[in-house]
Amino acid sequence: MTTLPAPTPTVATSPAHGPAGRAAGLGAVLAWEVRKLVAQLRVRVVLLAALVVPVPVALAISAQSQPPKDTLFGRYATTSGWSLALLILGFAGQWALPLLTSIVAGDVFSSEDQHGTWKTVLTRSTGRSTLFWAKVLAATGFAVVVLAVLGAATIASSVLLGGGAPLTGLSGQTIGDGQALVLVAAAWASTLPPLLAFTALAVLISVATRSSAAGIAAPAALGLVMQLVGALGSLQGLRTVLPTTPFEAWHGLLTAPRFTGPLVEGLVVSAVWAAAALAIAYVLVRRRDVTGG
Amino acid sequence: MDEMLAVDARGVSKSFGPVPAVVDVTLRVAPGEVYGVLGPNGAGKTTMLRMLFGLIRPDAGSIRLFGRSWDEHGVRTLDGVAGFIESPRFYPYLTGRQNLRGLARLDGGARPGLIEEVLEVVDLADRADRRVGGWSYGMRQRLGVAASLLREPRLLVLDEPANGLDPAGIRDMRALVRRLADGGLTVLLSSHHMDEVEEICDHVTIMSHGRVGFHGSIADLRAMAPDPGHLLRTDDDERALALADDLARERPGLEVSRHDAGLRIVGPEGVATELVAALVRGGVGLRELTPTRTPLEALFFMLTDGASETAPTDDADPALVGARPDGGPRR
Amino acid sequence: MRRILITLALCLAVVGAAGAVATAIGGGSTVTRARLERSLPAAFANRYLAQAELLGRRGLTAASLHPTAMCERGGPDVPDVGAGSDWVCLVGWSDPAVPMPPEGYGKFEVAVHANDCYTVSGPSKLVGFATIEDVRGRTVTNPVAEFDACFDPAGDDTPTGVTYPSVLQPLSTALTVGPDGRTSVQVSCGAGAGGCAGTLTVMDGTRALAEVPYRIEEQATPTLVVPARVPAGAKTVDLVFASTVGVAPPKPVTLPVQ
Repeated sequence: MTTLPAPTPTVATSPAHGPAGRAAGLGAVLAWEVRKLVAQLRVRVVLLAALVVPVPVALAISAQSQPPKDTLFGRYATTSGWSLALLILGFAGQWALPLLTSIVAGDVFSSEDQHGTWKTVLTRSTGRSTLFWAKVLAATGFAVVVLAVLGAATIASSVLLGGGAPLTGLSGQTIGDGQALVLVAAAWASTLPPLLAFTALAVLISVATRSSAAGIAAPAALGLVMQLVGALGSLQGLRTVLPTTPFEAWHGLLTAPRFTGPLVEGLVVSAVWAAAALAIAYVLVRRRDVTGG
Repeated sequence: MDEMLAVDARGVSKSFGPVPAVVDVTLRVAPGEVYGVLGPNGAGKTTMLRMLFGLIRPDAGSIRLFGRSWDEHGVRTLDGVAGFIESPRFYPYLTGRQNLRGLARLDGGARPGLIEEVLEVVDLADRADRRVGGWSYGMRQRLGVAASLLREPRLLVLDEPANGLDPAGIRDMRALVRRLADGGLTVLLSSHHMDEVEEICDHVTIMSHGRVGFHGSIADLRAMAPDPGHLLRTDDDERALALADDLARERPGLEVSRHDAGLRIVGPEGVATELVAALVRGGVGLRELTPTRTPLEALFFMLTDGASETAPTDDADPALVGARPDGGPRR
Repeated sequence: MRRILITLALCLAVVGAAGAVATAIGGGSTVTRARLERSLPAAFANRYLAQAELLGRRGLTAASLHPTAMCERGGPDVPDVGAGSDWVCLVGWSDPAVPMPPEGYGKFEVAVHANDCYTVSGPSKLVGFATIEDVRGRTVTNPVAEFDACFDPAGDDTPTGVTYPSVLQPLSTALTVGPDGRTSVQVSCGAGAGGCAGTLTVMDGTRALAEVPYRIEEQATPTLVVPARVPAGAKTVDLVFASTVGVAPPKPVTLPVQ
């Protein structure tokens, strides 16, 4: 214990300006959140899995003697790599994507509870709003990255390891390889809005429960329940407003002629879910009394 | 002149559900002071400090730090303020240095070299590149001080800084606080040890059951201290009691009573000495004479057990305020 | 734990409430007859052309096939709307190599899912079995035997006006004689527009034993009672259908008498 940092004068005639009189900007706080994510083993493992797991999955499905005909695009999954990539997209939308985004979004707030660090970060020069949006942006960024990695890895491994037959569209039409690449990539990209809605939902559950277990598992479980409810033909009205429905909106891209109504509708539904979940989470974070830690 | 107060909290109250944690507490700390908030566990000290930091919203009352309030200035209220609440917590998967770097980002950046400086101050420079997850409690406590100093504060708020430390750690921590205070820093610290507060603080607020039991200078507190008490063991308590009664008739203020396996003496310092002399003269064998509590400790217990008989007075003056047990403890 | 349960309960309540509101506002199913009737022929044509290519056939185009479909769900009492595996589509098209049966269409079974996609099973008599041999002699999956397709849930929902007649067929393999000497025969009127109507003439050789007028709803299998006794010793009778609505067997159907 040697020298002290020079303390500022004790008597001030005007209100003090804090540590160098600065407040942390959103960018700096976001960079800190990203830094924390990157340091976590779990996050790195998930990204690595998103990159690697599509390979054995593509191999396993291609090796089936009977194609999985009861799922959309399953009929040609063993003969066409494009179909295989879309079959995997169908499965991913059902539970993998909500789960993957929740691994970060469902933990990004509750991990502060888990480590007791709310008081650590809230006693710096960062307001709760800034911290909230930085965490939301970090979770959103992760969702985008994990979707991009999973999508690219799936398309690449399906096309390279799967069958070489051309893609059969959802109007029975045959689609050439060049257009198939664009359409399959677009189909994967079209799941971003519902994925972000689930990200917001995971953020809300993480904030409200203060539990990472709930924040990670609950959105995936809710997604499965919604998927089941949405598959019931008798609940058409409910199906329209569920955030799981837009995961299937890409079907319209693969018909001839294309239809984009579900994509637009899915964008609106996802935006409403995300906005509502984030609004509630924001209020909870702003109003919360931090008594623990 | 109120704007110049480092801490100006007036009439602050907070309840958690039906349980009042802090009731109408006023706390004023002038710049340059070393101020102690003293009270047993559950007295509401920590809740009060959390409210200063904006971690908890008060139900009533106003809080200003260097003239700024949360309602008007938001997080800028904490400009020039640093500290930690309860044991400082960090991200276990990051090293000490990484933690400090991150916290500096949340401060809007630290000047170059400051992180190394504060690590030196708390003597962690050589261990700062290990993950905090494996650190001892004392090291984390010191990292907490380092993280606070990183803000180059003018007001340092420390909640039970010596809590959980071993005797050497406590000694180091007190020395550190003292040196920081000598450097001109305003320090507000909470404690449940009278001796800690007595040793380093100029002024003190004693809290009990969420209310203020006393506030004023340590000197004022000393003046109010009751007579010290002693525990006396003899080979003939009966005779010792009789002799004590004789002496008590001559010297009012001396009280002797049976207590466990001996006698309890309460009275002015000189009288106890006289009693011992009288016992020796009377042929009573003395086996043990132990001071039971220091005067301030005795006062502390008196104030916080709700035994005060003094009337409440204007809270601007050093005063005793009736500490009633109706404000239940938190937790 | 309590906090977690409360949160999850609230989430489910919100979803339920949103659904209730959406249902109340009027979320009719997007699965309708008209949308299916527009989507299926296009998908069928594409698959049929894929099959033709596998078989090495040339000269067929979507325009030359000109497929049209009439779809309906369940029986006459089931509204033709909503997801379910009980849809039937009657599809007619023109391919010189594959003449249509007298009724002019093949019957496709369609399972429609809630997500506006559907799975079609074609009639093997007209489209072939699940696997076929392609022009190079390899066994390949028949693209028309079973295929998936999707339709636009916001697509044109005005009726297409395509109708196909029901097909009347005797189901009984013998003419049953009841205890009172009267006989009966069970017939089926298949999916189609208007059901089946006409007159059934029961012939013993060249002699008409009885005339039974009938009027049957589509997708029904009633038993027609013949108000005449079959002469003793008659081994077989002929059923001659004169149809006014629907398609009946053009030739007399010969049934043994029991």
